[in-house]
Amino acid sequence: MHKIFQIFQVYTYVLIYPWTLLAKSSPLITHVISQTPANSPDGLSLHTSTLINRDRPKMSYYFTILSPSDTPLFNIAFGTSKGGGDGIARFRFPETAQYMNQFIIHSSLDILEEAQWTNGSMYLKHIDTYPPAAAYITAFLTPSGARFLLLHQPPHLPSSTGSSGLGASSLLGSAGSTTRASSSSIAANPTSPQTEEAVRQFMNEVYENYVKTAMSPFYKQGMEIKSPVFRTRVTAAGKKWL
Amino acid sequence: MPSTDRGVFSLIIINKAGGLIYQREFQAGLHKLSTNDYLVLAGTFHGVHAITRSITPKIPSVQPPSPATSSPSTTAPAASSYSYPNPGVPVTGLDYLETDKFRLTCFQTLTGTKFLLFTDPLTGNVDTIVQKIYELYADFVMKNPFYQIEMPVRCEAFDRHLGAWLRGRA
Amino acid sequence: MAAPPRHATMLSISNGDKPAQAQPQTQQTTLPQSPGLRVPSNRKTIYDRHLNRSRNAESSRASFAFLFGEMVTYAQRRVTGIQDLEKRLNEQGYPLGLRLLDLLFYRSTSTSSSALSSSSTSSSPPNRPLRIITLLHLIHGPLWRLLFGRAADALEHSVSPDTPNEYMITDNDPLVNTYISVPREMSMLNCAAFVAGIIEGVCDGCGFETKVSAHNQPTDLWPSRTVFLVRFGDAVMEREKVLERSGVK
Repeated sequence: MHKIFQIFQVYTYVLIYPWTLLAKSSPLITHVISQTPANSPDGLSLHTSTLINRDRPKMSYYFTILSPSDTPLFNIAFGTSKGGGDGIARFRFPETAQYMNQFIIHSSLDILEEAQWTNGSMYLKHIDTYPPAAAYITAFLTPSGARFLLLHQPPHLPSSTGSSGLGASSLLGSAGSTTRASSSSIAANPTSPQTEEAVRQFMNEVYENYVKTAMSPFYKQGMEIKSPVFRTRVTAAGKKWL
Repeated sequence: MPSTDRGVFSLIIINKAGGLIYQREFQAGLHKLSTNDYLVLAGTFHGVHAITRSITPKIPSVQPPSPATSSPSTTAPAASSYSYPNPGVPVTGLDYLETDKFRLTCFQTLTGTKFLLFTDPLTGNVDTIVQKIYELYADFVMKNPFYQIEMPVRCEAFDRHLGAWLRGRA
Repeated sequence: MAAPPRHATMLSISNGDKPAQAQPQTQQTTLPQSPGLRVPSNRKTIYDRHLNRSRNAESSRASFAFLFGEMVTYAQRRVTGIQDLEKRLNEQGYPLGLRLLDLLFYRSTSTSSSALSSSSTSSSPPNRPLRIITLLHLIHGPLWRLLFGRAADALEHSVSPDTPNEYMITDNDPLVNTYISVPREMSMLNCAAFVAGIIEGVCDGCGFETKVSAHNQPTDLWPSRTVFLVRFGDAVMEREKVLERSGVK
């Protein structure tokens, strides 16, 4: 399994891009992909859990640091902690999430590289959406070329099964803002200003820790970040802001 | 107060083995020796310096009259009955040498390198000049990665700064 | 010694390591302490120190001179010639440039008195340089101040139409060369190749492929005046044209 995973990673870049284009332009495929897992038992269990916490949807996050040459340096998955969230990621398709999240994130790299040269800020905000999985990608670029990419995925709602992921999120966003316009509403709408601000804070905190890593004399640019302290720090930042 | 003297004539640096590693004149019209003679001069001075150090007289150590013990048998062993006047200060050997035309000041560093400075007898503050030269040596010779220790000094920055400082002083 | 890996390093993920932490159940618990990690007795890791702690600290010039002297001596071992020596010095500086870049931006975002933007004192983070001129100003000003406590002395663009990709940064008295006298038989050598490596690292980090070299250009007043020749790659020049057309600043 692991071997296969590695091979996939290498080809991600080649494979995914045309596929995303296709998926975006053709609602038929979108429909099919988003439909299938709703019938699976996993989809059902998610379904019920979201019904209980309807007013406070819990987002699932997948965070990756990529080197300038697209090598993954660090990965972490976590869920919303604000507003009573348990901080555990519940992706829509748990059985495929492990590599699909990687695929989706890598597929946004082309868009990132375009945005990189038109927008000079480090925080590039929301850059890409992958509707079949309702995955939203937010990017942060360090000056030295490392990319911080955060994938957020709103939970699967019953109303969203028929429509595309994008539509679901806008529904969700309006529900969140009407019921509770508090800090916990950042989980509701991945493109709202509050979310962008919360992610900015998260990114800045990770950036600080990344700089500390990079300043270590034992760390060379492009090396995988293995420090458990760094992982704890990122987890803490996720708890604090997301 | 440096008077209207002719200041610093020349500088010689001798390494700890007695080899000449630097020689420079600061004024025109000085009588020059041949390179070989300078080497001989350095070696000779090194030897003389060593001799002056070893012939430094010792004085009989004064037994402090101890009123408490009046026993007559407190004669210390003969070896330790002579010591240098001030045991805390290391023996330096030749410090300066003066003729009616020039004065030679010798400064030895902790590592055994010797700076010989030839000045006009009327020049004051020779110690300050020597200290500054030592400082420039520490900066521009010892911090230079291309200088090999104990080898002849060929550091353009040292020459430059030394010349500039002495000129600025005159 | 093989050339140290540069930006395009591809590191394979070691097999003993866990793959991406995507399983919902496993990622929350903190990782088991890897046996290789040793935490100092006061429990303070580098992550517990503030990055701005040493912001205004200065290191002793003498100790730097000795350290740099030893670096030059080290680089000099088994070199084939002056070019080789300069290449090694350059390679020693390169990773430093990559790191400094991140530190420079971090420090300018986290303080109210922005060191990067000369115009305003806004606390908003400075932009990543997108154009050559912004990048060169970043090197000429903030980077030089971070390294040497003052700005560089000049920034020029080549006037020759054949070499529009050449820029020059001049330092009248490079700190690294203060105590260095290069022997006459190596007169072409300039140890500021180390600084050239730092510049190269900064440019590469920002996505500007560059070759930087240090050249002696002594004047009577400034005997160790050094010119850093920055040559941008063709891809950079092409992108520069595109960005200019689309009005990116």
